[in-house]
Amino acid sequence: MRVAIADDEVLMREGLSRLLAEAGLEVVATAGDPKELIRRVGLTRPDVAIVDIKMPPTHTDEGLVAAQQLRDLHPDLGILVLSHYLDSRYAMRLLDDLPDGAGYLLKERVSDVAVLVDALGRVHEGECVVDPTIVSRLMSRRQDTGPLAELTPREREVLALMAEGYTNQTIRERLFLSSKTVEAHVRQIFLKLDLREAPEQHHRVSAVLAFLRDAQG
Amino acid sequence: MARRAVPLVLLATGLALGLASVAVGRAHPGWWFAGESDAASALALLAGLGLIAAGVAAWQRHPASRFGPLLGMVGVAWFLPEWNNPEIGSPLAFSAGSAFVAACPPLVAHAALAYPGGRLRSPVERVVVGLAYVACLGLVGVLSVALFDPVAEGCAQCPQNLLLVSAHGDLAHDLQRAGLQLGPLWAALVLAFAARRVAGGSVAERRLILPVLIPAGAYLVAVAWSFQHSAGRGFLGNDSLDQFLWAAQAVTLCLLAGGASWEWVRNRRTRSALAALVVDLETSPGPGGLRAALAERLGDPSLDLLHELSNGRLIDAAGLGRTPNPAQQLTPLVSEGRTLAVAAHRPGLFDDVGLGQELASAARLALDNDRLQAELRAQLEDLRASRARIVEAGDAERRRLERDLHDGAQQRLVALGLSIGLAIAQQGGRDPGLERAQLELRELLAELRELAHGIYPVALAEEGLGAAVEVLVEQSRVALRLERPLPEERLDPQVESAAYLVIREMVRDERRSWSSVDARREGDRLVLEVAGDGGVPDEFVLLEDRVGAVGGGLELGAAAQGVTRLRLELPCG
Repeated sequence: MRVAIADDEVLMREGLSRLLAEAGLEVVATAGDPKELIRRVGLTRPDVAIVDIKMPPTHTDEGLVAAQQLRDLHPDLGILVLSHYLDSRYAMRLLDDLPDGAGYLLKERVSDVAVLVDALGRVHEGECVVDPTIVSRLMSRRQDTGPLAELTPREREVLALMAEGYTNQTIRERLFLSSKTVEAHVRQIFLKLDLREAPEQHHRVSAVLAFLRDAQG
Repeated sequence: MARRAVPLVLLATGLALGLASVAVGRAHPGWWFAGESDAASALALLAGLGLIAAGVAAWQRHPASRFGPLLGMVGVAWFLPEWNNPEIGSPLAFSAGSAFVAACPPLVAHAALAYPGGRLRSPVERVVVGLAYVACLGLVGVLSVALFDPVAEGCAQCPQNLLLVSAHGDLAHDLQRAGLQLGPLWAALVLAFAARRVAGGSVAERRLILPVLIPAGAYLVAVAWSFQHSAGRGFLGNDSLDQFLWAAQAVTLCLLAGGASWEWVRNRRTRSALAALVVDLETSPGPGGLRAALAERLGDPSLDLLHELSNGRLIDAAGLGRTPNPAQQLTPLVSEGRTLAVAAHRPGLFDDVGLGQELASAARLALDNDRLQAELRAQLEDLRASRARIVEAGDAERRRLERDLHDGAQQRLVALGLSIGLAIAQQGGRDPGLERAQLELRELLAELRELAHGIYPVALAEEGLGAAVEVLVEQSRVALRLERPLPEERLDPQVESAAYLVIREMVRDERRSWSSVDARREGDRLVLEVAGDGGVPDEFVLLEDRVGAVGGGLELGAAAQGVTRLRLELPCG
């Protein structure tokens, strides 16, 4: 897998490059700001780009803007946004803009090379990735009342994995379930939460996340 | 006693002089402008006496101003030409009358240009007035008289000229003609100065000076005409045009006396207004009421009542700092050696000596009350401003701290995590120590993030109230219903953070099961109605302080069925 890295901190760029190289990935481009990133991606055509959400000039959401621009230029490019924002607003925005092949991870995940490589792989495959911490925070509030309370523990597990962007196939593998069971769980969850079942995988992530965000206890 | 006696003596002397002068004129009507006319005689007497009386009165009112004495001298000088009567019989009177035959016009010019302060304003004005004196007193008066022997010139009945130095009849005529010819020149210049003063003056100033400048100007026009007429002839005469111009001078001088007294009439009205004001004050006025009452009673809508703080700052009744309008005049209102207030008013309103003092003693209680209230309000305002500054400084410090944690500690910990991750990857084999370090680091980062967020939410600083509340909702266990969207636009940071903290206090209390916010703008106020089940937030007093510091208000609504309601009002201009 060929990777491009954009981060305005040199230490971060270099460390990440070495870490990914260690894990057997090929880092083909690094950049310190969105403009340079777009230029280098155009030159080197990587499979995925790791983009820090905070970059010059305002250090707020330049990474999200760059992600959108990259996707317009290179529809097949997987994009993984690294963020320090724990709340789900930016993750929602990313998934609304880029419904597939995009991921949103907290920045400290870079220390866990397995998680990082897994996320890059999924994004490359066109799946969505949402940081588990964000999902668990959303799920952990107001468990005692409302529709969420009606879910069984197993259904809650499945719901969390759906929100993290996993497909039925991976959920099955992770929870050691049959594909039929997984499908039944998913149907149950959508029924209990009164959600219309989204036919497509990526819309499912957005829908679940939006539900979790708006759920009023 | 002496203060009262002096003006009476002066007036009596003026009256005697006037009556004597008119008597001289009427005894020898052929030499007098008034001829045999009683009305003209009365007019002449009225003009001179009026000027003397107005002069004495002005001097009494403004002892420091030369205008009063000048005006009185105009009155005296108006009578003096009558003594120039060849049949007067007295050499002393005849000589004086001859020397001062044209003394009146330069005195009028001087008085008019010096009104009301009593001083000429520029060297140029002094030169022009000096020219008038030289021409009228010097050339037409003293010098001509010194060279003129009336008996030698064929005036058999004339008394002896006591001022005669050497008889040079032709030279005397030439000098007198030159003096007369200068008349129109300096009169025109004086008129030009007067016009410039009127054009450059404020409305209030014009109201004051026009009643004096118009009759003085008209008088000088008549004088200039008369001088022009006489210069052709070579001496001051008594034909029908001379008589007409003399009558015009008498009338304009009467008006001048009236104009100079007009200021006094106005001040009288101000004083009676003051009396009415004292009656008004029986019902004690609210804040600013005293100012309004004074402004109305004294007829100056721009009037302001200011108070000086110990640090020299001027404040109004509302306690707000004020810089007086430079077009206004400041008069301290002093009673018993204490300055009760400073009145800022149109120039001249308090010119009358003692008016300020009278006002101060008449309205002392009300002024004292006004000052105390103003000082109290100023202190409250200072207090509010310092509260706002403290809150602002606190917020800035929290913001800085949050940024330091975020950009400093957090970034370095992430980088450290990266290094550990790299070490783990490079080692290939499992090192339990490294793995544990990585786990602890992750927990540390999570704690640090919560800490930084608690210190100051980034979303509040970067995106405003709406975004910050959205984040708040996401992390809290208490459901929050927004009755309508929060304002999108950015507000003052202090206002945003006060509103945020109130909402956070409601949502943070996990004993609640729900809360709601209804935010709307009402004019330049942001009104938030925050409700929730359960009790009043623990930090209610702190919230009140916080809201008060930005000039807002936080009220606790009536609790009903276990529901707490807070109403928050914040300024958002």
